[in-house]
Amino acid sequence: MEYVNPEGLRLDGRRPMEMRQIRAEIGVVSKADGSAVFEMGNTKVIAAVYGPREVQNRSQQSNDHALVRCEYSMANFSTGDRMRKPKGDRRSTEISLVIRQTMEACILTHLMPRSQIDIFVQVLQADGGTRSACINAATLALADAGIPMSDIVTSCSAGYLNGTPLLDLNYVEDSAGGPDVTVGILPKLDKVTLLQMDSKLQMETFENVMQLAIEGCKAVASYIREVLLENTKQLESRRGV
Amino acid sequence: MAGKSSAAAATYSPSLTGQRKKRPPIQTDSEWVRPDGRGLHQCRPAFLKTGAVNSASGSAYAEFGNTKVIVSVFGPRESKKAMMYSNAGRLNCNVSYTTFASPVRGQTPEAKDLSSMLHKALEGAIILKSFPKTTVDVFALVLESGGGDLPVITSCASLALADAGIMLYDMVASVSVSCIGKNLLIDPVSEEESYQDGSLMITCMPSRNEVTQMTVTGEWSTTKINEGMQLCLDACSKLGKIMRSCLKEAASGPQD
Amino acid sequence: MVGLSLGEQNFIKGGISQDLRTDGRKRLTYRPIFVETGIIPQASGSARVKLGVTDVIASVKAELGRPNPSYPDKGKVSIYVDCSPTAEPTFEGRGGEEFSTELSSALQKCLLGGKSGAGAGIDLSSLCIVGGKVCWDLYIDGLVVSSDGNVLDALGAAIKAALSNTAIPKVQVSANASSDEQPEVDVSDEEFLQFDTSGVGRHYIADATTAEESQMSSAVSLSINRQGQICGLMKRGGAVLDSSMILDMISVAKHVSEQLIKRLDSEIAAAEACDDDEMEL
Repeated sequence: MEYVNPEGLRLDGRRPMEMRQIRAEIGVVSKADGSAVFEMGNTKVIAAVYGPREVQNRSQQSNDHALVRCEYSMANFSTGDRMRKPKGDRRSTEISLVIRQTMEACILTHLMPRSQIDIFVQVLQADGGTRSACINAATLALADAGIPMSDIVTSCSAGYLNGTPLLDLNYVEDSAGGPDVTVGILPKLDKVTLLQMDSKLQMETFENVMQLAIEGCKAVASYIREVLLENTKQLESRRGV
Repeated sequence: MAGKSSAAAATYSPSLTGQRKKRPPIQTDSEWVRPDGRGLHQCRPAFLKTGAVNSASGSAYAEFGNTKVIVSVFGPRESKKAMMYSNAGRLNCNVSYTTFASPVRGQTPEAKDLSSMLHKALEGAIILKSFPKTTVDVFALVLESGGGDLPVITSCASLALADAGIMLYDMVASVSVSCIGKNLLIDPVSEEESYQDGSLMITCMPSRNEVTQMTVTGEWSTTKINEGMQLCLDACSKLGKIMRSCLKEAASGPQD
Repeated sequence: MVGLSLGEQNFIKGGISQDLRTDGRKRLTYRPIFVETGIIPQASGSARVKLGVTDVIASVKAELGRPNPSYPDKGKVSIYVDCSPTAEPTFEGRGGEEFSTELSSALQKCLLGGKSGAGAGIDLSSLCIVGGKVCWDLYIDGLVVSSDGNVLDALGAAIKAALSNTAIPKVQVSANASSDEQPEVDVSDEEFLQFDTSGVGRHYIADATTAEESQMSSAVSLSINRQGQICGLMKRGGAVLDSSMILDMISVAKHVSEQLIKRLDSEIAAAEACDDDEMEL
């Protein structure tokens, strides 16, 4: 199947180096300490952060840093075919673990000992790149909750089909079976916190694809910063500053 | 005897679809004739007995027509360590069906739903403050499901609780009413339940005239609900009296 | 969830007895309702309803399936509610299962009516394609994104909106092939409405928030259709109620539900009009 046609356009009309449209909103779940909605094209994800709060399971409590927990669940209607079991399957457990490790790297946990931070991510619509959307949404939610972080984490995925590196794969391109590289970085510190890949790639091609994904992450980072700035301005005006 | 030894004898297997005649569509103004010959406002004869299970703190067996239920109560027992301290007791209910309870093997209605409904029905009647830090477990087993399961389970459970010596505000009696066309039938059997247009179930404490649970499905106008509720409350008070006499017999019986 | 102090509890109870709740509403007023339809493009119909802070999403998916052998000329509808942990941290993992089953069964009762299908919100025989062989299976999925009391009402409204937004392809059976078109099919025949009255002290309130719900002794959830008839009723909560109080609550519920039905209908129509405008553009 042709994923990049001879004119260089992909299946949804994008250029190979073009990302899908991003949209983010902060503070959707007023009950949570912090929450955000993140959309990458047709992939829509809600993240809610509860914490820091008292540890529920005393045995896991730690005296010198906070506990970070994460749960990833997909809604029944998020994929094209209705899913029977929204939580608890292997893929969800794996992604929960991945998100937890990624966010743990950037949260300054030593500032909040003996406490627990819960990150809940709910996928409303899945169209490829859910992992990245979840991490981006979680970053925004953590910022909304006012949890101290060393830097924001942004994530983006890239693949390699028909001899071209493609940025931000959607579901059709993802299920083509080609390689799919997901990268999560701390943009200001220029460090990589998450790197995952499916399938196989040659070393040089891999470097190209990873570089492309990192560019994507930086673009997301600038957008996220804009959103956070806008949000802060609103908060300021509400306070009458 | 000679007939039995022939191997080619046809084995008798009850076929459900053959027996169930296709009912003609119910005309709304026709009188419904009940399969067991009862009147519209007549409940099934009830057989209640306590002390059915020896190893339990309290137990009861109830037979309402074809619906047979056995309930055993364990407790008050120590709460699991995982549960936090509470100065009121805890109630834990579990309803399960045997595999042979329904006419088609293995097809059981939602037992999980029934457990939570039983819990809500009994919660209001038990004096939870009388057994802090402990749990009372109620296990209901439906041996045969002949219609009107949940009311029978609830009544039987309250009898078992009384047998176990748990303090109750009052006995809990439960009756359901079915609406077919314009007729209101009390205490439906499973055949009537499959044709019903609506059902109303009330669980109440008869002497205190208080309702612990009420469920309505189907379409009801206010007058119908009024009528249905009155029927149920009447039947509940009569059922309450039967339950009390059963308990009195059980208490005075062994002394003879 | 942090518990309420004695002072807060007294404040809530006192306010209710004086017909003034903590957010300024009267006892029987609903919070502002916000409806958005067609938010899930992959589903046959979907809606999102915000009742104050409570936020729920409902989606309807229609698939072809075989009818139940005991009801060969009726389609099938199954309702499943999922409580997302974003609403409540205690819903994580299997924590929300009990609540979800309670909501699913309550909604099923109201939507599907009695066993013979009478008094149901959906006319099941309209879902039949070929009697005994092919019928539509409607899968209604609800997702609770944020909960601040009165989730049942929000879910009922969301399902109603999603159903009115549902478009099922018309199937023509010719030999073994089936072709489809896309007319907008209104599936719900008798509109139904979920409604919740809670009793705090001796007064009744409608549309309780979580704080008020923690104080209420018992609640009655009613589902009323347009003709004013009651399609489903469930008493939740442990405390006991006098039978006269139940009848009282029923009449109060009927009165408030009329206004609610009007409001919901106008909101849904507005949402659909918005949707259509977007599609035309």
